[in-house]
Amino acid sequence: MPTTTRRARLRIAVICAAVVLAAGAGALAITHFGASAPPVTTAGNDVAGDGSIDVIAGLDNCGSGWSSSTGGPLTFVVNNTSIGNIDVYLQSADTGAVYGELEGLGSRASATLSAVLGDGSYEFVCIGADAPVTTGAQVSIANSAARSDLTPGVVPVTRNDLYQPTQQYSAWITAQLPVLAGGVADLATSIQSGDRAAARRSWIAAHVTYETLGAAYGAFGNSDTAINGTPGAGMTAETDPDLTGFHRIESILWSDQQLSAAAPFAAQLVSDVSTLETTFATTRLDPQDVGLRAHEILENSVQEELNGSDDAGSGSTFATIDANIEGTEQAVLPLRPLLADRGFDLATLDDWLARSTALVESFRGPDGSWTPLSSITAAQREQVNATLSETVELLAPIAAICDIRQGV
Amino acid sequence: MTGGLPRRSFLSGLVGAGVAGPLAAMAAAPIAAEAATRASEAQNAAGGASAADPAARIPFEGINQQGILPPPQRAAAFVSFDVTAATRGELAELLQTITTRARFLTTGGAPQTTGISAPPADSGVLGPEVAPDNLAVTVAVGASLFDARFGLAALKPSQLRTMEDFENDALRREVCDGDLLLQITAQSTDTVLHAVRDIARATRGSMQIRWRRDGFVSAPRPSGTPRNLMGFKDGTSNPDITDAALMQKLVWASDGEPAWAAGGSYQVVRVIRMLVEFWDRVNIHEQENMIGRRRDSGAPLTAVAEFDDPHYDLDPTGESVPLNAHIRLANSRSQADLDTRILRRAYNYDGGVDPNGNLDMGLVFVAFNRDLDNQFVAIQKRLANEPLVDYISPFGGGYFFALPGVQGARDWLGQGLLSA
Ligand code: HEM
Repeated sequence: MPTTTRRARLRIAVICAAVVLAAGAGALAITHFGASAPPVTTAGNDVAGDGSIDVIAGLDNCGSGWSSSTGGPLTFVVNNTSIGNIDVYLQSADTGAVYGELEGLGSRASATLSAVLGDGSYEFVCIGADAPVTTGAQVSIANSAARSDLTPGVVPVTRNDLYQPTQQYSAWITAQLPVLAGGVADLATSIQSGDRAAARRSWIAAHVTYETLGAAYGAFGNSDTAINGTPGAGMTAETDPDLTGFHRIESILWSDQQLSAAAPFAAQLVSDVSTLETTFATTRLDPQDVGLRAHEILENSVQEELNGSDDAGSGSTFATIDANIEGTEQAVLPLRPLLADRGFDLATLDDWLARSTALVESFRGPDGSWTPLSSITAAQREQVNATLSETVELLAPIAAICDIRQGV
Repeated sequence: MTGGLPRRSFLSGLVGAGVAGPLAAMAAAPIAAEAATRASEAQNAAGGASAADPAARIPFEGINQQGILPPPQRAAAFVSFDVTAATRGELAELLQTITTRARFLTTGGAPQTTGISAPPADSGVLGPEVAPDNLAVTVAVGASLFDARFGLAALKPSQLRTMEDFENDALRREVCDGDLLLQITAQSTDTVLHAVRDIARATRGSMQIRWRRDGFVSAPRPSGTPRNLMGFKDGTSNPDITDAALMQKLVWASDGEPAWAAGGSYQVVRVIRMLVEFWDRVNIHEQENMIGRRRDSGAPLTAVAEFDDPHYDLDPTGESVPLNAHIRLANSRSQADLDTRILRRAYNYDGGVDPNGNLDMGLVFVAFNRDLDNQFVAIQKRLANEPLVDYISPFGGGYFFALPGVQGARDWLGQGLLSA
């Protein structure tokens, strides 16, 4: 729902069915943009007299005002003449690939839609609040000059398109939850046995498992806070009286507190994970979440892990990020066919995911221990920042593409 | 004369004796004004005060890069990057990307449209259309780029090295040096920041910001060369940028440099804190003696108007302009000194506040020169222990080599270096 920020959605339970406007940093790694040429000749209304085309969006009249164009940069001023909100797409009449959209254009509002079009047949589509669809007249563009800055056309992803990928991802999560349950049980046992070294090892193992499940945190709801919450403002994992779960236990295991102080929290964690298993069995993942989280898991790592703020003493930041990358790959996995169909560059993404993994795992010693973030050199830190940030840039378009739209 | 004593030794040792000395010097006879140099005029014409036309652009292509000769602009960012690209090929791609972005940003136009395929390509900070706003993106390479990573060691400009600590320096190495320096200047701050964001985004995986220092040029107050934050006009005496032969002699790399370097220039950046609270507690004549110029008019203490010659020949013993005044040490106007001048492009910086509650502000000193050792370094050494050093503290910057310009649509910054 539009009032919930994406950041909040990373951590709290919001099953959000409404369309979320993609925001945030984008995807243009090593991409080359050229300046657009001046607008080309166009037949149609141009009230503003600036080369833009005035177009009407309504439920009985969609796209009128545009009758012909030559290829190149086109700017439409779209005016909603209907009495309700309208979503407007400029799309290929042949493939349904969308070149530009105006979401939620209010009654009597107008807004600008720009696209750089090559040869093809195009049409406006207007979709009202109750989803009646009006398609405008087709406009053909022919004999346009070749250019490198054409707007990419993308066939919208519908709720239906995301059904199977969401099922697939959900099944993976379901299969991971017993692994998590086993991990936290081990943790509780080693805490019981009084072996701090073993407890620390099982803490990292169990926490890492949880950190791979990022695209489902929204669906986990309150369980996520109970299991992997972080301290409230102005408090630490040690001092926040309400904090339970991994970070609370971490603050004990990596301090000089008695190991036994962690026992009640470990028992609580075992029970919270068991609750999660039960509730998740009947939870439906929001199809919007998988694409959104495919981007945001790593966005979150860059923001909350790379600055060390989530670390409560274990120094296992790189283990966490390693798990987050794995979690990202698991979220991308079911979306791959859909992304490939839409011209998304999976090869480059895979490359940078692999680069990220290799780099992060280079901070794991032969004995399985992880170098703390604070111990790496400035040059290593630059490599980490560069590699993860580039990967996030490449992931961002997934959220944009998988934003659920009405297919026409 | 008092000007001859470093302030601290004065404070600790002499306890006020001799303060009256310089007053005599202030009575120095006015000396006939000389015509202002063309360089200074050009600088003032194109400098900070001019009304900003967002459509104004500095041509991107040329034998030299666009941001070296033109006078400093109102807004600037100095961003030093370390290259994280893994291979020489990736380094070439990085430089191509910087070129493509710089070409677009300095030319202006509509950003790439992404439809529903991705978030917007442009931050929108400059509105739907990017206005050039006299943006200039100048790229320079640091000595560290020529280490073992990219196989460029043999191609290093002959004098390029890590900036040494000079006598009065307090360099913090984490804000010094770097593989690549981007000097980004424009008429407005938003244009500069838009360009910084755009380029950093397009190159995210291939380089990382090592340090950054933003600068600005003040409007002329009330006229002439803009002032630095010590209240003095800064940039008055500079070689004439319209004299191509002089620029060839003083600025552009030539003999002794690798062939690819032609059209480039050694770029020195010194980020220098000014201890402004201390400075403000110093008498005006003492301030003026340290610089060698009047604070109000910018005139040499031996003359009338800002662009007048200081005529040291008429003041051989430093009665008016102390022999250790900043401008006199920096350029005694001997033929040897005139032949080894540097092109200065200084910016002010404002860095907030330090832990003592003192204001952190100062100068981003920038100089271009052909022969680092015989020009910048020689001047800097002459300035060692000048009276001014007690009020300033150089802590950042580095030596860089500004790449040759981009010539033609297929050329890119550093192509000569990487294909050599
Ligand atoms: C915060 C530090 C500095 C301050 C406040 C400062 C201030 C000034 C001022 C007020 C002038 C006179 C106006 C002008 O001609 O531009 C000047 C001139 C000059 N400064 Fe600096 N300066 C600083 C650092 C440096 C450094 C690091 C160098 C070079 C190593 C340098 C070299 C020169 C030169 C070459 C001149 C021109 C001298 C002439 O030709 O008469 N300055 N400086």
